[in-house]
Amino acid sequence: MSAAGLLGCESCGLVSADVAGDDPALVQHCPRCGHVIHRTKPFSLQRTWACVFAAAVLYVPANVLPVMVTTSALQRDEHTLLGGIHELWLDGSWALALIVFIASIAVPVLKIGVLGLLAWSVRSKPQWRRLERARLYRLIETVGHWSMLDVYVVVLLAATVRFGPLASVSPGLGLLSFAAVVVLTLLATWSFDPRLIWRDPPAAAVADDARVNPQPAGADGRLA
Amino acid sequence: MRRVEDSLVVCEQCGLPHRWQLPTDATIARCTRCEAILGRAHRLSIDSVLALTMAAAAAYLVAVNAPLMSLSLRGGAETATLPQAIKVAWENGEQIVAVLAAITALLAPAAFIALRLYVLFPLSVGRKPPAFAWCVRALHQAGRWSMVEVFTVGVLLSLVRLAGLADASPGPGLFALGALTLLFASIEAAGLKHLWWHVR
Repeated sequence: MSAAGLLGCESCGLVSADVAGDDPALVQHCPRCGHVIHRTKPFSLQRTWACVFAAAVLYVPANVLPVMVTTSALQRDEHTLLGGIHELWLDGSWALALIVFIASIAVPVLKIGVLGLLAWSVRSKPQWRRLERARLYRLIETVGHWSMLDVYVVVLLAATVRFGPLASVSPGLGLLSFAAVVVLTLLATWSFDPRLIWRDPPAAAVADDARVNPQPAGADGRLA
Repeated sequence: MRRVEDSLVVCEQCGLPHRWQLPTDATIARCTRCEAILGRAHRLSIDSVLALTMAAAAAYLVAVNAPLMSLSLRGGAETATLPQAIKVAWENGEQIVAVLAAITALLAPAAFIALRLYVLFPLSVGRKPPAFAWCVRALHQAGRWSMVEVFTVGVLLSLVRLAGLADASPGPGLFALGALTLLFASIEAAGLKHLWWHVR
């Protein structure tokens, strides 16, 4: 919500007056580039919840099923996400184990947890630690796509290690679930509108028009 | 740049309007409420971004066509390029993963470069290309889905993993990929909205 009744175009940055307000039937377009402009993205919370929930469900098979199957002359091994990290650790390459752990375990868990927290707090704790929540959102926005790392590694290993019965690597079913988790958490991050963090819930008595009750932040003293 | 000194800027992350004014002692203007970046002092000119994008196009062609790494085991040798890796994943029955890898490492970076070239050439001579607004929006999506830097680290990681198994060595594609990562980072730092300042 823009306190001064001004909206910025997400595509070209042009500032326009807020005409549509909170009326979902009115759709306002940027006069310069034609992009839809709104106070907050429509259905932002519903979309975020749907993606977060689906990602959390798929995260289970992503961890239980093998992401990679290696076959050599002697044996056939199935590797799960955590199993692969454990093997790296046992091999002594603890730095690699740490990188893969951060990319494959820490980042997806962080994204699901943080997005759940952000989406929940918009409704339930609107005024709680707003700056910290805004920073959390920027954090997951920045690190989000790094969880693709393991998908690339398995695809590359499968393409390189092709020595027939001697040695070969192929992707497992877990990789599909994990890739879905990565895409769903990305979509969830993009669906969530960080402007919701700064929105005050409409007061119960004067709920009609938020512009009647402007935020103190709109005062001139706060303008940079 | 040609940004009007007294213009308004609305914070993308929290919606608070600001009067655009860069602090004299800083290079980055931040939102006073949520601390998101509003703008930077040092902007690349259209010509500089165009030069970087042309360099990125060259690096992209090498990164896609040259082998990323090669592996030899008991006389047999395998090299892998990115399109090959995607093809193998597809043939292994992992079509969805193959499509995802193709979008994030192959197609989105290609759109990132091609659309920028299409927009920047006319802008550099003071013309507005047809479908300009659509291109800027498409560039935003291409930037989101392009994961060249993650893919580069993925290649390095696979190389280290393979080193224990057999004789693995980096190929020229990997170096091109490294260059592409750096070029993309500097092009992205220029942002997209500044393109509109050059349209009359």
